[in-house]
Amino acid sequence: MVDQQSTLIAIALIASVVYLSRVSGYFIGLQLRHIGGIKPVLEALPGCAFMAILAPAIRQGNASEILAMSCVVLIMWRTNNVVFATGTGMAVLLLAGPYLGGN
Amino acid sequence: MSTYQSLLLGIRSSADYFISTFMFGVMFGIAASAADLSQWHTLIMSASVFSASAQFAALEFWQSPLPYGTIALSVALVSSRNILLGMAMTHHFDGHSLKRRIVWLFLLNDPGVVTSYRIAANVDRLGYITGYGVAIMVSWLSSTWLGLNIAGVFATLDLGAIDFAGPLVIATMMMLFIKGSKTRSTPWIVSGIVALLLFELETANYLILLLSVAAGVMAAVVQERLPHG
Repeated sequence: MVDQQSTLIAIALIASVVYLSRVSGYFIGLQLRHIGGIKPVLEALPGCAFMAILAPAIRQGNASEILAMSCVVLIMWRTNNVVFATGTGMAVLLLAGPYLGGN
Repeated sequence: MSTYQSLLLGIRSSADYFISTFMFGVMFGIAASAADLSQWHTLIMSASVFSASAQFAALEFWQSPLPYGTIALSVALVSSRNILLGMAMTHHFDGHSLKRRIVWLFLLNDPGVVTSYRIAANVDRLGYITGYGVAIMVSWLSSTWLGLNIAGVFATLDLGAIDFAGPLVIATMMMLFIKGSKTRSTPWIVSGIVALLLFELETANYLILLLSVAAGVMAAVVQERLPHG
């Protein structure tokens, strides 16, 4: 069991690191904004970050995870309905996992 | 549209990710309970950190004595995505005082940023993303509390199958980004290909993120410098 003081120190540390990550990106961007043509480069960053996380996750996914991901992408493409897409993906993971090689 | 109206729009627009966040909050509450974190400490953490990925990463190392350096490094790595989100918003928070930007950036959140690409040009982006963040915070805190209080029910269940829920939610944000962003697709396609190659080369996760985003940035720069046609 972690004592109260250590817990509060750790929480403050985690909160500081996360907050700094949020603020620092914006202020780095402010330093770069005078560069000509930088706006589309900066605005492409979230997509690059998401792909950097998604590509390896899909590559190491098992059959049920890839099926769930395919359902999410297809539903989002057709409907933009986040709840329906995520719910379907989760249902596929839970129901198809035992048959297609889930956890 | 005024900042206040944009903030309300952000709150109203957050319903989809309010529910997704709720699911992760319940899971976090259950995980925190299993790690012997008290209710108050868990709620203080959720309120002050406001990041599912960072909080789950920290829980991995939650044992006495707490390895502060390891926790900080691990949290920094999973939070590096926030740096990119902040950079993406560089041109969108003008017209606000520096103090307001510094305070409101606490609520910077992925779905708020991604959906802000799709809203009308006259909406105040900082107000919208902050409103989105307020709603997500309510979801995150209430679901964390619920998870803490129903943890006993799930103690015997294997929730391993839903480990992949994180990538599924990121996929929904990627699809919104693809459909809403006015930027061209080459940068993120390059990032995805480079991430796959680096994964095959068994590169460390933080280097995959760093190098594949760098490759995407280079692709975007090259594309901007080429004559449009």
